[in-house]
Amino acid sequence: MLLGLGAAWLIMFLYVVLITLRERKLRKELDRVRKMVETPNK
Amino acid sequence: MREKIIIGLAVFAGALLAWNMNTIFTALPDELNQGAIYRIIYFHVPANILGMTGFGLGMLLSIGYLVTKDLRYDALAASVTEVSLVFASIGLATGSIWARIIWGVWWAWDYRLTSWLVCWLIFGGYLMLRRAVDEPNQRARFAAVVSILGSVNAYISYKSIEWWNTQHPQPVLSIRNGGGMAAGMEAPIWWNLLALACFSAILIMVRTRQEAIANEIDTLRRMAHAQ
Repeated sequence: MLLGLGAAWLIMFLYVVLITLRERKLRKELDRVRKMVETPNK
Repeated sequence: MREKIIIGLAVFAGALLAWNMNTIFTALPDELNQGAIYRIIYFHVPANILGMTGFGLGMLLSIGYLVTKDLRYDALAASVTEVSLVFASIGLATGSIWARIIWGVWWAWDYRLTSWLVCWLIFGGYLMLRRAVDEPNQRARFAAVVSILGSVNAYISYKSIEWWNTQHPQPVLSIRNGGGMAAGMEAPIWWNLLALACFSAILIMVRTRQEAIANEIDTLRRMAHAQ
């Protein structure tokens, strides 16, 4: 039973880690592209 | 405002889940034939309900995109479908662990399990397809078609335990005329469903915001290339 509950929470935990990392990556990319648009010649 | 809603939902869902877990583990007796392992149902059933309803909602949003060509519907459909796939994965994993204990095997190729696995693969393909197509409208159109196809399969999977004799148990919930559980044992399923639905809403809100950021990045990139 604990294996079942552990599996459920592990999947949920891994997904939360995944979307946290994705959020960080997207925000970095957004900053980079914004700078690129603001200073197009550099 | 969005942050406050997310925090409020998380606190409510966490408290509800803690209270319900206490009921499940300390107040409820073991099941007569299965012993303690039957408690997996308190995660297995809510996770699968959220998976199936989420796929259905994703399909409605996809139809919304096809009718209006508004990409916000597509972004929301992608978010709902991805989160639903996580809950479907929990449903498959918990079901498989339960089967190992009760049936003695991890998997059986019966109608319910097979159709649900096919559904999981279709929506896994849906997410892969979204990564493979760059043009937003083309991506949304292809994804909508896959979502409709997958949701039809989800409905077949839902009804499979009524239509065919399956190794998977027949309906036990009272709303499906199952009546296979005592009232005190069934109620925690619904409380867990409510708590997990709140977690699901939080994840969908976060994912929708990410889709908006990704769209903004796309727009800025086009501007940069046009300069």
